[in-house]
Amino acid sequence: MQSNDSPMSPKRFDRKAAAVAEFTMKQYTKRISTWVILSVGLLAVSIIMLFYFDTMLREIEAVDNDYDSFDPDGDGYPSGQERLYGTDPYFSESHPGKIDPSILPDDPSKWINEDDIDWDALVVGSVGYDDDGDCRNAPIAPSAQDGNRDGIACNVRINENQFSGGYTIRGDGYVDEDPDDEIYAKEAIHRATILALGKFGFVFLIGIFLPLFMATGLIRDEMESGTMHFLIAKPIRRAEIFLYRLLGFLAITYPYVIVMSLLCAILFGFSGPSDSVFRLSDIGIWMVIAFATLLAILVYGMMFSMFGVLWKHGIILAIPVAAWELAMMFVSLWEPEASVLRFSVLGWATMIIDAGALMLWPDMEYMIEVGMWGGGMAPLQGAEQLMVFSSNPGLGLSNFSSFIVGSVVLLIQALAFWFVGSALFSSKEVA
Amino acid sequence: MTPQQQMPVVYLENVSKVYGRIHALTNVTLGLSGGVTGVLGLNGAGKSTLFKLLMGKLKPNSGTIRLFGEDPWKNPAPYARIGFVPENEKMYDWMTALEFVSTFARLFGMTKDEAEQEALRVLDFVGLADVANKQIGRFSKGMRQRTKIAHALVNKPELIILDEPLQGCDPLARTTINNVIRELGKSGCTVLVSSHILTEIERVTEQIVILHHGKLLALGNLHAIRERLDQIPHTIHIRGEDSRGLGRSLMGHPAVFGLNFPNEHELNIQTFHFGQLHQDLPKIIVEGGHKVELIDNPDDDLESILGYLTGGQSHAK
Repeated sequence: MQSNDSPMSPKRFDRKAAAVAEFTMKQYTKRISTWVILSVGLLAVSIIMLFYFDTMLREIEAVDNDYDSFDPDGDGYPSGQERLYGTDPYFSESHPGKIDPSILPDDPSKWINEDDIDWDALVVGSVGYDDDGDCRNAPIAPSAQDGNRDGIACNVRINENQFSGGYTIRGDGYVDEDPDDEIYAKEAIHRATILALGKFGFVFLIGIFLPLFMATGLIRDEMESGTMHFLIAKPIRRAEIFLYRLLGFLAITYPYVIVMSLLCAILFGFSGPSDSVFRLSDIGIWMVIAFATLLAILVYGMMFSMFGVLWKHGIILAIPVAAWELAMMFVSLWEPEASVLRFSVLGWATMIIDAGALMLWPDMEYMIEVGMWGGGMAPLQGAEQLMVFSSNPGLGLSNFSSFIVGSVVLLIQALAFWFVGSALFSSKEVA
Repeated sequence: MTPQQQMPVVYLENVSKVYGRIHALTNVTLGLSGGVTGVLGLNGAGKSTLFKLLMGKLKPNSGTIRLFGEDPWKNPAPYARIGFVPENEKMYDWMTALEFVSTFARLFGMTKDEAEQEALRVLDFVGLADVANKQIGRFSKGMRQRTKIAHALVNKPELIILDEPLQGCDPLARTTINNVIRELGKSGCTVLVSSHILTEIERVTEQIVILHHGKLLALGNLHAIRERLDQIPHTIHIRGEDSRGLGRSLMGHPAVFGLNFPNEHELNIQTFHFGQLHQDLPKIIVEGGHKVELIDNPDDDLESILGYLTGGQSHAK
């Protein structure tokens, strides 16, 4: 040998690691299938992005949430105006034109988005202001001005919900009841799309399918083709081969995920609702999504590579796992606190995204609660989507702790699969 | 002396390997150190199984295997001193010969530069220096074999194992590979080379191991093994100008018990003492002034030897 130190000494491990990883990377780049899989991933993410751009570029129609721009009795006065002056909106002979001095009818558009939500946080207590005066100034009984029975007329009352957690919002009639739909919808849809893309596009599609098609054969393909003979007739442990092959896989998939999330960060940053040209504040959430995806790829990579060692048709073992994870994806959306999610890699990875999102968008709960309240009428546009795609981590810990716990659990899973995969490979005969 | 020094480079004791109901190797005991050893056997005799056991790819069902005193199944460390040329044909066709050899050189802990330097050295040694930067996919069978051999030499091994290195090679590649093997043997390496063709092995070594149906049938010098066959009738086939004249010269020879003449230019000699006759034959031909075109031992192929060693059971399963 060239020098005195043993070829099995630790200082030579990094050279072997680099050699196997580099070789594995090159091997990937020479396969058409690699490029097909990576392109399909790009295509899938692009399609989700197209829907997003369509929403963002489209003008969101201002909705008359309280229906007071309508004129049900056809007397030319919108019902909001009639209510303000105490006339009957359903009787054409009663309208503000008949009072002295006579009032000219309002343009109906004045009664759309006319009473925005005046509070920007979920603070327990009395909030809200009746911008359009249809509660404050309407000649109605004082009891009608205090529909929420908190002793204060024309306000909104926020209480903590003692039983289910969260908050209950109760407004007096016609207070903050017709918010600006476009501002809310764009912000909510922007966030909901990022979360949906992060969970479905990144963690699920990229996180599972890249390892499924690329890592299952890491060891198995070499065993099948006989080329493994070149690798294992060297002073290198099989556990190392298993690990270094996976490093090569990561060396291809990690830059891919990072570039994809960077691309999304840039495109979403420029087209998202923002006062400035670029939504710099979203960089964090894309980092969280990339991080969760990288961890998912690591765990699935180890798992599927292990399946490949375990059985010639390892992919058949991997497919039920992918199906299970798809089911868990839906569970995470509808029942985010279900404990069955703890038995899924995806459950932990999406939890990291949820925890990260709640840390980076501290007003998320406000956005959801307010959007679902929607001024006391129907939920605002985008609120339901946001509620579906944003979840609480469900561990009963702080967001930061959930983020850390999720990351540690995934790393432990990856280590466990490496350990099992290496042990299987080491005891496997390579005929 | 340490136990490692006492132990042969390659050591097997009562090694058996069973695949399902097939006994691939049965109670093989063997110790080898230095020089070139040919491992002979028909297809399926257990040659590849033997090599795979040595290379830690298979685990023996029973028995002990030691390479440089260590168990290859448990510890890959001895492979630092070993070069292995597997039989499988699949290689990484997208790699150049240089990439192939240097990639695997790095698994011995070499830096990239060291690996490349060593790769060029061994590629030159096997006569592929001028095509080092060509893709393996474009190589002929012989060039591919030589690339595989080069990759096994890159760590300057003390033990080299070649599984059927000549299979499918053209005559030029055979000569080159045989020269490489002989040279390695001379340089003090222990070389194990398998084949199912006796004449191939004969060109590089006289020390042979014969495997048959997973059993070690013979071990030692090829000619010594032949000597043992002396009591068994043997045929020597001669073609020359005057076969009858040569026949007359051989008539009184004590080793000859029969002659026949298929035609006027050919002669078959039957002997019980093949070794002795083989020694005397050149002298008889020269002294008698006979002109001979060809001397052939139709019985002297592996199957015949196996036939003798197994008492005519070589084809029986």
